[in-house]
Amino acid sequence: MRKSLAAAAALALPLAFPATAFAATDGPQMYVAQLGELNDSGATGTAEVTLDGDQLTVSITASGLLADQPHAQHIHYPEEEEGQPTIEGTCPTSADDADGDGFLSTTEGQPKYGMIVTSLTTEGDASPDSALDVTRFPTAPGGEESYDRTFTVPEGFDAAEDLGESVIVVHGIDANGNGEYDAGDLGASELNPDLPAEATNPALCGALSPAGDGGVAAGFGGTSGVENTGLMLAGAGTIAAAGGVLIYSRRRSAQA
Amino acid sequence: MSHRADRGHRRLLAPVAAAVLLVSGLGMVGVAAATQQGPPPEVPSASAQGAPADATARPAPAAAAGTPARAEAPKPRRTGRPRAVDPAPARAPAPAADPVRLRVPSIGVDTDLLDLALDADGALEVPEDPDRAGWFAGGTAPGDPGAAVLAGHVDSMDGPAVFYLLSALRPGAEVLVDREDGTTATFRVDRVVRYPKDELPTADVYAATGTALRLVTCGGVFDDDSGHYRDNVVAYATVAG
Repeated sequence: MRKSLAAAAALALPLAFPATAFAATDGPQMYVAQLGELNDSGATGTAEVTLDGDQLTVSITASGLLADQPHAQHIHYPEEEEGQPTIEGTCPTSADDADGDGFLSTTEGQPKYGMIVTSLTTEGDASPDSALDVTRFPTAPGGEESYDRTFTVPEGFDAAEDLGESVIVVHGIDANGNGEYDAGDLGASELNPDLPAEATNPALCGALSPAGDGGVAAGFGGTSGVENTGLMLAGAGTIAAAGGVLIYSRRRSAQA
Repeated sequence: MSHRADRGHRRLLAPVAAAVLLVSGLGMVGVAAATQQGPPPEVPSASAQGAPADATARPAPAAAAGTPARAEAPKPRRTGRPRAVDPAPARAPAPAADPVRLRVPSIGVDTDLLDLALDADGALEVPEDPDRAGWFAGGTAPGDPGAAVLAGHVDSMDGPAVFYLLSALRPGAEVLVDREDGTTATFRVDRVVRYPKDELPTADVYAATGTALRLVTCGGVFDDDSGHYRDNVVAYATVAG
């Protein structure tokens, strides 16, 4: 999806602006994150976000999630106060466990990753209103998630400016190891009393970084294959000429 | 002048000429071969999915789940940063000073660093000067949480370039980045992996759950038709201490 978008843009750009194709500065911009586990979820994953105009394509690949349970997931961004320095979104650590219960809740992580910008739902609304709509999030069959969806950049979010400071968070853990979300040891979610805390505590987190798309052209081939081919050929030619002269002179002396 | 003497000269002429030609011809080939630059060292490609090569040069994601190393990875995010000054919670986007110089003693790299950006297609630029490396200034600074990406050429049109020996880097090798404020960030190589360019694992290269550095260059087969190498070589390194 991302590749085809980028490729389409790369193809379209020179057609639209043949003379200025290389001066263009607003091509697609990619951001990536490595998703690390929170709350000992045992999960791991990566996220790629491509911003192309007002379209945002989000891909998440994860494994080790609690299988067959909905995993709420969002782009978070720590809004800074007017006139205050930029806050780079980061992932919380066990040091952020404010109530000391041994688990990081979504709320406890918020000082690090901020509030929700986009709910990465599977369909329909993607605003913060859908943050915990567990009927529209990936269910990670077999613990694997492969998510891909394109959104329109939400109003009021300066994606080009702020995506690099944003964080991807995937929620849903199995604290008591019984294979499903339940009130178990952790009780109800601080965000929604109808949901167990297991369903809303973060399982994966990764800060987005700007990234280059595709490979890097970092060689001219000067050390690959045979160099000095000219000299090689001249040398070979000269050796052949030596042979030629000998044969010729032999023939002449034989005739004589 | 006798006819005979003339014939004698002529009889010598051919072998002497042949010998001169042979020696100079051998000399030319010899010089050409001696100045022939060997191809850069190679690391096994990570392209073949699940191939044995992956065992030694394995990209981080799925395979590392649940190992102790993985469990510790997110922790150094804040505390492990080698920083001279530590302003309170709210911090600027790039608190580590910009990098100015890269040193990799084990492969003889010592170069100043240029600032690199993305080109119009969104791909990372590489310094035009084959003898210098560059830093992706749009991304993470070396020593900040995440992955700082440095790129350089493996060769120029006529010989080795700054990252010629990147593939020969061994795990544990020291990578030093000198910064504008006079501080130095020290990294150690974890692994070196070669990927076909269209299979470069972008999230692994440009992002990390810890504080990391990536050195990127070209490798594999040089495609004469495209004028580019087919693969990229990535050295993954993690902040030391």
